[in-house]
Amino acid sequence: MRLLFLLKEGIAGFKRARLAATISIATITLSLSLIGMFALLVHHLSAQFQQTYGRIQLEVFIDPAIDSAQRQALEGRIQQLAAVEAVQYVSPEMTLQRFQQDFGDDLLTVLEGENPFPPSLQVILKKEYAELEKVEAAVEAIRALPQVDEVIFQEKFIRLINRYFFIGLIVATTIGATIFFISTMLIFNTIRLTIHSRKTVIEIMRLVGATHFFIKAPFVIEGLLQGLIGSLLASGALWLMSDLLRAFFLPGLTIPWMYFLFLCGTGILLGLLGSYFSIGKYLKF
Amino acid sequence: MIELFNISIQLGKRQVLEQVSLKINKGEFVYLIGQTGSGKTTLLRLIYMDVFPDRGNVIVDSYSSSTILPRHVPFLRRKVGVIFQDFKLLPDRNVYDNIAFALQVIGAPQRTIKSRVLSVLTRVGLHHKRYQMPQRLSGGEQQRVAIARALVNKPFILLADEPTGNLDPQVARDILHLLENINRSGTAILMATHNYDLIRQYPHRTLVLENGNFSREINPEELA
Repeated sequence: MRLLFLLKEGIAGFKRARLAATISIATITLSLSLIGMFALLVHHLSAQFQQTYGRIQLEVFIDPAIDSAQRQALEGRIQQLAAVEAVQYVSPEMTLQRFQQDFGDDLLTVLEGENPFPPSLQVILKKEYAELEKVEAAVEAIRALPQVDEVIFQEKFIRLINRYFFIGLIVATTIGATIFFISTMLIFNTIRLTIHSRKTVIEIMRLVGATHFFIKAPFVIEGLLQGLIGSLLASGALWLMSDLLRAFFLPGLTIPWMYFLFLCGTGILLGLLGSYFSIGKYLKF
Repeated sequence: MIELFNISIQLGKRQVLEQVSLKINKGEFVYLIGQTGSGKTTLLRLIYMDVFPDRGNVIVDSYSSSTILPRHVPFLRRKVGVIFQDFKLLPDRNVYDNIAFALQVIGAPQRTIKSRVLSVLTRVGLHHKRYQMPQRLSGGEQQRVAIARALVNKPFILLADEPTGNLDPQVARDILHLLENINRSGTAILMATHNYDLIRQYPHRTLVLENGNFSREINPEELA
């Protein structure tokens, strides 16, 4: 009976303060759409970045006198390292061919018919080993292996990527946190206004002896519903927006389903907390 | 019943009441008069513990302002009915629902709610208007609804803060007549008012509040 009354009151709150509830839901929808779009874009750009630059490649030059069995054993040992995702043998002929493609057939004339390139192994590191310290550790481990002459990698490039990725991450986090903060304040204030418009109800409830739980519950339920509806609408808007972006600008854009869960959770939480704290102002005793 | 011992209270920067003491006995009818800003409303608020004194103690039934826990305040308010000059009705609920609301929010069972609301509506003479919306009622009728809402919890005292302030003289007399009937059935009444004509017509113990203190208790016939 009590729970039913609280639920009915919570839902009836929408009808009783239609305009305020609509504004509240619209604010939640807009704020969460903004947060969702920003998070989605950051996620997409970060994924693209990782895809393009995230896999570090090492060139491992090996002893030219190595025989096939020894080379395969070495490949196996490198492959066993935790940082390594793939190892591929590059013969001197393959290297020459590549150079020929880049510099033209004249290269053989310049080299007077000889192939000066040593055999090498192309080692691709796992994505999670894209940081400089981890790359250096992997390089040291490979250098320590017998029959490895030299290991080279694009140290400067990795430093640059790491730095810009870090700066980008800080900038994105700052912008994201600012959007989230402003949205939260906006939602809280809108809910506060919604509750303020019904302060007579709260006053009457207090006067007739309703407990704080009984006074708060309908407003918290209402706030929760507003948050849920707002977040569902924001999820819909995000889905539509991502569809448009995918069609016209970002073909590879995908939305992890966790994003919708995050939006719904955030919406519910903001609606719930916003109404809980706003109503507290009217309930000293 | 209700006792205030040397109450002092400051609201904002203003000392509203200073060293006020008062006793209201069971079933008594007491008028509280004084100029605007003399502290009448604050005194009523102290009784339903909407505010607490800086010094002194308020005893209401078995509750004391110095020892009551915040979570017990609602239970005190169920024993004290309050009405106001501006009625404070919910405009989006009909008469029946306005009164029933007072019982619903304290978790009363549906059967109790129905019988008590209909009974109190008969008592204030508005049974036939139970499905009307408040804005369709006259000022006097709206105040009757407010009285019914205050009574539906069966309080031992009814606090009335200028209940006739918005009403014409005849309607004000009707409301006073109703309050007298309620008082005769055993509910104490403490009424803050400026309406001296009413006090002369329905004389009861009258306290004068001046400069935040009780200056005297007067005979209603003395009122100019």
